[in-house]
Amino acid sequence: MVEQFPRPMAEIRTARRKLPAIDSAAFAPPPAGDHPLKIVEFRAWRVKEPASNRRYTVVRLRAQGGIAGYGEGGPAVASEIAAARTVTMNRRATESEFIRAALRRTPALEAAVNNAMLDVVSRAKDMPIYRYLGGPVRFKARLLGHLEGATPADSAPSLERAKRQGMAAFTTAAPLRDSMIPLQSYIDVVAKHYADMQALAGPAGEWVLDGAGAMTPGDAASVANALEHAHPIWFDEPTGVATPDALAKIVEESVMPIGLGRNITDIVEFQRLLASGSVNIVRPDLGLNSLAKIRRIAALAETHYVGIAPFHNGGPIGTMAGLHLNASLIQAYAQQVPVPASDRDAAMRAEITSGLKEKGEDGFFALINRPGLGFEVNEKALDAASEERI
Amino acid sequence: MRRRELLTTLAAGAGALAAAPGGRRANPTPLADCGCSLQIRSAKDKPPGEAAFRDVTSKLRITNMRVFGVTLDERIAQADRPYVFVKIETNEGVTGWGEATLEGKASAAMACVMDLKDLIIGCDPMQVEHLYQVMYIGSFYRGGPVLGSAISGIDQALWDIRGKVMNMPVYELLGGPVDPRGVRGYYHADVWTLEAARELRDKTKAAGVTALKFQLPDLLECVETNAKIKRAVGHMEMLREGLGPDIDFAVDFHARPTPSVASIILREIEPLHLMFAEEICPPENVRAMARAVRHSTTPIATGERLIASYGYAELIDMGVVDVLQPDIAHVGGVTALWKVSATAEASGIRMAPHACEGPIGGIASLHVDAAGPNFLAQEICGFVQADQKNRVWEDLLGFPAMRMVDGRYPLPTRPGLGVDISETALKKYPFQGTRPFVMAFHEDGAVASL
Repeated sequence: MVEQFPRPMAEIRTARRKLPAIDSAAFAPPPAGDHPLKIVEFRAWRVKEPASNRRYTVVRLRAQGGIAGYGEGGPAVASEIAAARTVTMNRRATESEFIRAALRRTPALEAAVNNAMLDVVSRAKDMPIYRYLGGPVRFKARLLGHLEGATPADSAPSLERAKRQGMAAFTTAAPLRDSMIPLQSYIDVVAKHYADMQALAGPAGEWVLDGAGAMTPGDAASVANALEHAHPIWFDEPTGVATPDALAKIVEESVMPIGLGRNITDIVEFQRLLASGSVNIVRPDLGLNSLAKIRRIAALAETHYVGIAPFHNGGPIGTMAGLHLNASLIQAYAQQVPVPASDRDAAMRAEITSGLKEKGEDGFFALINRPGLGFEVNEKALDAASEERI
Repeated sequence: MRRRELLTTLAAGAGALAAAPGGRRANPTPLADCGCSLQIRSAKDKPPGEAAFRDVTSKLRITNMRVFGVTLDERIAQADRPYVFVKIETNEGVTGWGEATLEGKASAAMACVMDLKDLIIGCDPMQVEHLYQVMYIGSFYRGGPVLGSAISGIDQALWDIRGKVMNMPVYELLGGPVDPRGVRGYYHADVWTLEAARELRDKTKAAGVTALKFQLPDLLECVETNAKIKRAVGHMEMLREGLGPDIDFAVDFHARPTPSVASIILREIEPLHLMFAEEICPPENVRAMARAVRHSTTPIATGERLIASYGYAELIDMGVVDVLQPDIAHVGGVTALWKVSATAEASGIRMAPHACEGPIGGIASLHVDAAGPNFLAQEICGFVQADQKNRVWEDLLGFPAMRMVDGRYPLPTRPGLGVDISETALKKYPFQGTRPFVMAFHEDGAVASL
């Protein structure tokens, strides 16, 4: 009898004894002593944007030598921040693997702390983060405008701002399906929405269709099939049902590229998606995964010839960190950038980065050749925008 | 025509390649094109070339790269592997060392290193990921041990420079150390009697070493006799009895068995609880290897002959192995070894990097080992008792390289890789040409896998 794969492989996995689980938290690097990169100060801001209510956490670390670095993660509560401070204080800013293990249960803070450490070390070494990470592999990074608004009319202000900010690729959220709408009608609604957004942006605009994990696998497969000739760059998070069978239903129904990963914080989950061939572009959230962690995910994806475009719906410090990451990863396609509809939100974001705007030219952001993140964080702006300072 | 002039002219022939890496302008004179060169419709779409990085790179530039062949007396080191060392020099005086040793192909590796020279001269050595891609993807024909070894030597030297510029050991650049006590290692050993095994146990324990690796006693054919199977299993049973339960040991099958023969042996040796069984069958066919391992719980290791992280993807995805063994002198240097390690970690696969060449590669491997939570043990071609080869290494590096203390290799503390080769010492061991890898034959004269 001819053996059929993958069934025998599954048998292999279950039949064979596994080595003990790898837990890097079992090891703690030695105390940093008087090292200039020893973290001696930890401060955090819980930031909220005034109009959109978009929330994120900014951490500032100061090393013994006096250098400060900033990192951003997703929303976090005060008790998590306090616990992260305990873990981080007196470690060396180079100990990203220790932090990745120690803060793995609070991914927003793993991202914020590890990215702040990276900023500290890069500033200490007088080089941009992308150079510390082995780049640049490109001299400019593609921007993907994450528009606000559910309808074309609602999205128009955000789209206009994105175009003014030099973006040429955008995400648009697929309409949600009401249970009373027949499937064909729903598909028609999504197709019309997509066509309307294309018309709004003009012929130069390229689009990612964002399913936001809201469709059933069956609906997502039908939408992918119907829209594949419209050639979205990819269909993002088509369903929230990330089982191999559910995803297989989508990827086997059409040639539409599938983006997945914004809610995933476990590298093993990315490995599973990649190994099963269920994903064409991985989308770890910058608010939930540090640059150090995403580089590991990228290493996985590279062997599958799968691209990476980190999801981002946080603040401007996160955007800039993502652009450094993009400049250091060979298969990075684009960095998603939230584009506020509100002028107040946009102004606040620019103030935090001391005037450096999340903007590009002809769709790309020109890399900054300055140490660390490449700009000074305006702490007064953070104070003004924060719900709480910790 | 001088080599540089020839390459510049060829680059111009490619038409759209407006600038060679390093920012050097190519001669605009068009040459004949058979249709294979880069074809792009509009000038706007032409690739920008390295000059586009001018504003975002450091001021450091690679000014020269040299390659050294180093032959040791064949009475103290295997004749098939003269060391191939790479030295990269920069405009600010910082230099980096790497190792591109390739068993049986020293001259090819040296030539390939020099083939890559024009790709990196004038570039920023801090762009190590970009330069890795330039060498790997830019070579068009990806992979293979010659290119892999050449890239490895250059990549290690670039990381050495990065560390020196930033005044940090490379393992710190990679986020380590995960275990500050150092890197667990194992030595090679060969004993053939129970008495010798017991003697080895005592010496090993006295030296603080916790793990050893042995080989099978015979060459093996596609199917095997009961006698040979029993001899292989009996040899390992003798080792366990002689070494006792406290010393880990691995057995290198060296890809001698077929999957069929390997599966029989693996089934029999389960109760011995090996640290791992290495290269249980030839490496090309992963599914064949999978068939061999499915009935055994003995941890399986492989990977020393694979190149770049792509070479490991199928092994990892199919859940075939428990331990991966890339060789930093072949896989693609620090960059590629780290990528393999990161890829393996997600699947709960441990790393026991292969190292059977010279001291630079061994030390470079320690840096990646120290930054990997999934690290198991580091190999080196050496025995519990130091020998003449170790004295040569000390002569070259100025310290007893790759010798364990209490079962671990101490972590280098100096910036970069922590090695500085004495060129004066190198002159004592001039390159004497390539020697082929040792071959073996079955009793019928057929070539055997060794």
